[in-house]
Amino acid sequence: MDFITENLLTILILLPVFGALALLGHQMFWKQEGQLKWVTLLFTVVNFLISLFLLADKGSASASGFFFEKNIPWIKAINTNYHVGVDGLSLWLVILTTFIMPIAIVSTWHAVEKKATAFYIFLLLLESAMIGVFVSLDLLVFYLFFEASLIPMFFLIGIWGGENRIYAAVKFFIFTALGSLLMLVAIISLYYAYANIPGGLAAGTFDYVVLLNAMKMGTLNIAPTAATLMFLAFALAFAIKVPLFPFHTWLPDAHTEAPTAGSVILAAVLLKMGTYGLMRFCFTLFPDQAREWAPLFIILAIIGIIYGALVAMVQPDVKRLVAYSSVAHMGFVILGMFSFTEWGMQGAVYQMLNHGVSTGALFLLVGFIYERRHTRQISDFGGLANVMPIYATIFVITAMSSVGLPFLNGFVGEFLIMVGMWKSTILTITGSTNWNYVATMLAGTGVIFAAVYLLWMIQRVFFGKVTNGKNRSLKDLSYREIGLIAPLVFLMVFMGVYPKPFLDATEKSVVEIQKRVMHRAGGEVAEAEKEN
Amino acid sequence: MIENNLLSIIIFAPLFGAVINWLIGGRLKNEQFSGLVACGTIAISTIVAFMIAFGIGTPHVGALREGSPIVLDHIWTWINVGGFRADFALGMDRLSGIYACFITFVGLLIHIFATGYMHGDKGFYRFFAYLNLFMFSMLTLVLADNYLLMFVGWEGVGLCSYLLIGYYIKKNEAREAAKKAFVMNRIGDWGVLMGIFLIFTLTGSISFFDKTVDGEQVQSAFSFIGTHFTTADPFTWGAIVAGGLTSIGVLMFIGATGKSAQIPLLTWLPDAMAGPTPVSALIHAATMVTAGVYLVVRSNAIYQKAPTAMWIIAVIGAATALFAATIAIAQNDIKKVLAYSTVSQLGFMFLAAGVGAFVVAIFHVMTHAFFKALLFLGSGSVIHGMHHEQDMRKMGGLKKHMPITFITMAMGWLAICGIPIWAGFFSKDEILYKTFAADSYFPVADFPGNKILWVVATLTAVLTAIYMTRMMVMTFWGKERFHEALPDADHGHAAAHHDEHSAAAHDEDDEEHHHALPHDFKPHESPWSMTVPLIVLAFLSTVGGLVGIPYAMSSLVGSGDINVFEHTLDPVIAKADSGHEKPVPAMDGKKDVKHFYASSAITTAGAESHDSHSPEVIFKERMLALLSVVLAGIGIAIGWFAFIGNPLRKMPLILEQKWRLDEFYNGYIVDPLTKLSREGLWKGFDLGFIDGIVNGIGHFVSELGNLARQVQVGFVRSYAAIIMLGAIAVLGYFIYFGLKLIG
Repeated sequence: MDFITENLLTILILLPVFGALALLGHQMFWKQEGQLKWVTLLFTVVNFLISLFLLADKGSASASGFFFEKNIPWIKAINTNYHVGVDGLSLWLVILTTFIMPIAIVSTWHAVEKKATAFYIFLLLLESAMIGVFVSLDLLVFYLFFEASLIPMFFLIGIWGGENRIYAAVKFFIFTALGSLLMLVAIISLYYAYANIPGGLAAGTFDYVVLLNAMKMGTLNIAPTAATLMFLAFALAFAIKVPLFPFHTWLPDAHTEAPTAGSVILAAVLLKMGTYGLMRFCFTLFPDQAREWAPLFIILAIIGIIYGALVAMVQPDVKRLVAYSSVAHMGFVILGMFSFTEWGMQGAVYQMLNHGVSTGALFLLVGFIYERRHTRQISDFGGLANVMPIYATIFVITAMSSVGLPFLNGFVGEFLIMVGMWKSTILTITGSTNWNYVATMLAGTGVIFAAVYLLWMIQRVFFGKVTNGKNRSLKDLSYREIGLIAPLVFLMVFMGVYPKPFLDATEKSVVEIQKRVMHRAGGEVAEAEKEN
Repeated sequence: MIENNLLSIIIFAPLFGAVINWLIGGRLKNEQFSGLVACGTIAISTIVAFMIAFGIGTPHVGALREGSPIVLDHIWTWINVGGFRADFALGMDRLSGIYACFITFVGLLIHIFATGYMHGDKGFYRFFAYLNLFMFSMLTLVLADNYLLMFVGWEGVGLCSYLLIGYYIKKNEAREAAKKAFVMNRIGDWGVLMGIFLIFTLTGSISFFDKTVDGEQVQSAFSFIGTHFTTADPFTWGAIVAGGLTSIGVLMFIGATGKSAQIPLLTWLPDAMAGPTPVSALIHAATMVTAGVYLVVRSNAIYQKAPTAMWIIAVIGAATALFAATIAIAQNDIKKVLAYSTVSQLGFMFLAAGVGAFVVAIFHVMTHAFFKALLFLGSGSVIHGMHHEQDMRKMGGLKKHMPITFITMAMGWLAICGIPIWAGFFSKDEILYKTFAADSYFPVADFPGNKILWVVATLTAVLTAIYMTRMMVMTFWGKERFHEALPDADHGHAAAHHDEHSAAAHDEDDEEHHHALPHDFKPHESPWSMTVPLIVLAFLSTVGGLVGIPYAMSSLVGSGDINVFEHTLDPVIAKADSGHEKPVPAMDGKKDVKHFYASSAITTAGAESHDSHSPEVIFKERMLALLSVVLAGIGIAIGWFAFIGNPLRKMPLILEQKWRLDEFYNGYIVDPLTKLSREGLWKGFDLGFIDGIVNGIGHFVSELGNLARQVQVGFVRSYAAIIMLGAIAVLGYFIYFGLKLIG
């Protein structure tokens, strides 16, 4: 037990790697593909169970506010350390990752026809990388994990994807790699900035905690122009990942072409790496710049919300529709974060989880029907509720959670985000219109449009008479599929009705980030803060 | 305040019923089981609601009784983030008490009716699961002790309405209507959400009641407004966007227009008639659609200080009342007539609220719940007897085939027309009088705004009598037209609608079993499960209004002030601060309606009630009442003589086409937006512009690659030269910056 709690994060990162090695060994010695999925499932389930220790025993936080911290020198020459830790911001994201993995794996139970070993190995490696991203506290290590998560996903789309998979995979790779390369430049600049502190140790560092403390103490001061450039480099990398309008066009292609497991993971976890990164690094390392540029991000987020919804409305392909709805939902997350209020930021963190659950579930559901009919065109369906009542019921519940119906998870997040934006002072220009009200009102229209596109799709797919003869003999969900979706549906209801445990756990870290980002400028901002 | 955990039974019993019906009823497929579970759980709710409301067997005084506390039930803390607090907690005060009682009671009757009406339907259990879920949502809406939980119910009823309108999922008409209802409601919900944000911003609370939770003192939004907003907003257009109380009022009213089908969001309600008739009675007449009125009256502390918002409500209410009445007069589908009639009556309620007569608005909500539920259920009984024929042109002479239905519906007819002693008379007449009496309600000098509203409302009342008489005549009197071909084949517009309708009707798959009536067809009276609720509701529609007899009437027969309803609701209506030195300007003109605010006070309470019971005021009120009775009689007479000889009289085309409002919305909003999204945003911007750039770059890079390939000539010496060039460049870079660092 002690061993587990002491090395918890390391175990979480390494276990899937061992799983991948096990699969390789299995492949070499037994050559029985049928057992691969069981092995993979075993590893991911165990990893999920272990990740629950994150909740059980917190131990005590280190001085930097992180739990389960480990800091081991890695490459001495460039002073980079294997530094990991978890706080309120990353806690639920890690658990979300380990939770969604078994589901993603079972979703592909019968779907993988070629190169199964490689498929499962990539999934496991992806899990490692994603967990690594959320727990890394060393910028270089973070960067490595961030990039490493790209590769398995690239292959998942490129090898097991749909017809247009190569185009989608390359587009995905180029978009995201482009952004993260700029981030690497910014990370190296930070390293040298630290090294160049007058009277300092003349050794750079990649350590986030060290850098942050130096900034808080005022020993590390970066010239405004340089800081702006660094902020933008970081922000661009993350904005592409989110994706923020107008960097979103890789997403519909990637989602549509990816296999179901890929889409689920992409929606549930990968996109969160962007929003997580913004909040963890951009806000705390460059608070002045974050405030300065917030209006731009808010405008883009609002455009994304409305734009994503409008474009989703006219999609002929169900999966593409869900992909565009992701753009709209992630717009809400960005909006909440950049409101720089406790409500908005808490809501944003909560909405990350909600989006993972609801959109993940939607992709699963689309996958179910795709496995049966090998089409996702809305026009190929109609009247499915008559032949697949259970499927239709679950789909409607999931859609309602995505629409933001109260007592389902989406509502709590979106509501807090909008309260946050409404009360935000970040758009305040003295003696002018209350732009924060205007922003919230515009974002609020996204809630209307969400109802339009999802209900319209549901109406065309599920209601009416069965128009296409091929749909007449469709089988309703199997027990495996119900078992797969049930935990997600449970979470939708639970998180909507009783959000307290989630919000309580994230509160401290989020408030800390919020204070950091708002207090830096001194009197003026602190004043506005007080008025709130 | 007092804590009573029984309160949660009222909402959770129906939820429990819904779950049972969904999980177990779905397997058993036994109508008796499903019906029993559904009606039984609602019966429990009803009993508990009445117990708490009237203090039967409870340790405290009933919530509706004199000197009662507000009964609270804190279940759990739902959201508590950074000072924003939303509890899952219920509260029963006078207002929610009245609502809870009539919702559960009318709901119970409609549930019983539905067991007869839905008999033989394949989705029997599903229907009752939805219906119970609706009751849960509706009761949550009215019993919620804060705006956010109310919003939960608000959205919940919207969802159930969506599910139930679309209950006949195979009918195209039904699913279109379901979607339309949900989307239009959502547009309204946007307003409610924004209103909640603004309330929270201005008052720091979204609670309805002052209370103590988890040892924390929570001040209600209203008491905060009472103490911190001493003057009303000015009566200006600017106040709407000023971000003050008026803005809240307008935002909330946007929500009310959606839920209660007022201009401009009214077109969903008539379409919603595609759902089963008990649904129309319960959701789209008696309960859900009055949620907007509930919201406005609940927020009366805000509205009383927002004259502009009040003015908007009154004008929209009156306009909707008239607009819908003109349409109702030309409809041939019996349910469509009733639907437009509902919209029109809701307009009356908003008119009442808009002129400050909040109590009367609620009074009309209640009487309307009785007689409109009755009329809808009666129409359901007719439809049932006519084998699912809804077109009144194919009815006629039904009174001898369906006597109970006829007599009970006649009670509803008299009630809605406003014939004395029937329930509708008292409430509608009060609305007309209050509108008339709201003298200088509009602070625009000498502008007789309230008189204009009164004329509009009176005209609507006449129209109401006409269209209801037309409906009764076409259905119950005259010769039987069951076997006649419809005469509308020659005019295209109505045929278009009807074709769609009959297309669904003649489908063998259809769940509602429409079919052409056989030659030996005879309509039949409905079973007891349907007629008993009709009789009970007919009784209530007849005497239900007696709880709210205004003083001007009761004094006629020598009784004193016996307006129980008004006194019950009195504590709900926010009082102007009596210690305040300056009367609120906008409220000034309400002197004549002051007996509403018996203790409210611009002058002292005693003088007030004396004022309102002064002989000339009472005389005016009686004269107006007489006038409206006479007008109702004239309306009935017009309806009778115009249609008894010629029930199929041709109505103006534009009215039959509902002023072409749907066509307007589709042509100018829905279609352009869809086209913009598809051609402009998706194909133009996404695929054309952004992907164009990305693909362009990709193309450029691969071209560059082709170019670069030329460099790879395959000679070692060329590579060496290139490597050297590169090395020199790198070295040069370092030397240059190194020198700069040193220098």
